[in-house]
Amino acid sequence: MHIPDGILPITISAAGYATSGAATWYSLRKIGQKEDAQASIPKASLLTAVFFVASWIHIPVPPTSVHLVLNGLLGAVLGYYAFPAILIGLFFQAVMFQHGGLTTLGVNATMMGVPALLAFFVFRLRRVVGKDRRWGVGVFGFLAGATGLGVAALIAWGLLVATIPAHLDAEAERASIYALTLAHMPLIVLEGIFTALVALFLHRVKPELLKD
Amino acid sequence: MIDGLDRYACLDSSLHRWDPRCKFVGLIALMFAFSFVQDLRLLPAMLAVTSGLYAASRMPLAFLLTRLRTPAVFVVVVATLLPFISGTTVIARIGPLILRQEGTVAMALIVVKFISILTISLVLFGTAPFLTTIKALQALGLPPILGDMTLLAYRYLYEIGNDLETMERAMGLRGFRARRFSSHTLDVLASLAGTMLVRSYEQSERVYKAMTLRGYGHSPRPRAQFHRMVCIRAHFRDWAGLAGVFLVAASFVAMEIWLRGLGG
Repeated sequence: MHIPDGILPITISAAGYATSGAATWYSLRKIGQKEDAQASIPKASLLTAVFFVASWIHIPVPPTSVHLVLNGLLGAVLGYYAFPAILIGLFFQAVMFQHGGLTTLGVNATMMGVPALLAFFVFRLRRVVGKDRRWGVGVFGFLAGATGLGVAALIAWGLLVATIPAHLDAEAERASIYALTLAHMPLIVLEGIFTALVALFLHRVKPELLKD
Repeated sequence: MIDGLDRYACLDSSLHRWDPRCKFVGLIALMFAFSFVQDLRLLPAMLAVTSGLYAASRMPLAFLLTRLRTPAVFVVVVATLLPFISGTTVIARIGPLILRQEGTVAMALIVVKFISILTISLVLFGTAPFLTTIKALQALGLPPILGDMTLLAYRYLYEIGNDLETMERAMGLRGFRARRFSSHTLDVLASLAGTMLVRSYEQSERVYKAMTLRGYGHSPRPRAQFHRMVCIRAHFRDWAGLAGVFLVAASFVAMEIWLRGLGG
């Protein structure tokens, strides 16, 4: 789901930087309003590094294996720090592993980070059923994980369909993009289940990690 | 697990000596100028500029090739699929395959731009220690929270990566094999991710206490705590280098607009 350099028109790359700039501004503003903003920076930084590393965990899906995006889980655990964390994680991935790219960093951050913020809001809805209810953590954990990847896949689909060059065979391109998006459906469910399992683990072992 | 991006940062070249702030601004502008190009005739010039910059960095070619290995999958997929599935103008028929002009042009543009931008990014981050580049970004106005988070995350990335390796090895020694998809496998892997989160959370509390003892958070406003460490001075040659790269970037944009005008 990382869009590499050289694919998107520069207008889309610039728009990506504009939207990720706005999302970063919004997140930093919300973080700045917290009383213990500075105390949370080491926590958010180390958890950013964990999410970066945890995305290397491969889930066996024979005959292959998949790695998870974990942006929904990141939103559930980090809250408003989720967007800066994703921006930093994608920056590391672009410069260290050449996944994604620097010109597309804004687009990729928007694609992964905005759904992470949505996942945070979804996970926070568990207050409705009682914040400490185990089943609530599981259900809203699943919804947060599925929202994270699902919305990211929708944004990727929209971007790819909107940027098909006019001179190319648009029908064939569109069909392959639809197929690619549909292929994400089982992954969305898997991401939701994994997020729910991690949220339940944290709820049992270290519940303060899930406090808003 | 994480191999050194800046392992050749200690070499001596004009790019290594270039002020990191000017280098960042100049090379990012060049990357965006490359991204703007849509005309095939500019691709040889793009490759020439990229090769010239990489040669000037004095980094070995093997380093570039190693770095290109992972994204090469993307290049191979684009290069093998696009010319045959995209477009309507037929250039040639190779058995059942039809080579199409539009797809071939799109493939050439995507592959050359991708390799060029990636190489420039390697020059940018490979010719200075990574921390110097981050400090340069702070000096350029990166928000303090982002700057501090980037430095801290980078500091613990290696350590947490090693932790994951150790934990996976320990799980393997206890008989866990993630070979088939099952609820048990998912549960164990979720616990692995959860354990990493819990351990890092506890470590972050110790880190914060240690940082507070060293003066972190004592400024009245949440400014970049590491900002004071930045001590970068630009000289005339740094500004001249920046002007030169801006000129090259502007030339690509101007040529692209001019060629579009001729074509349209």
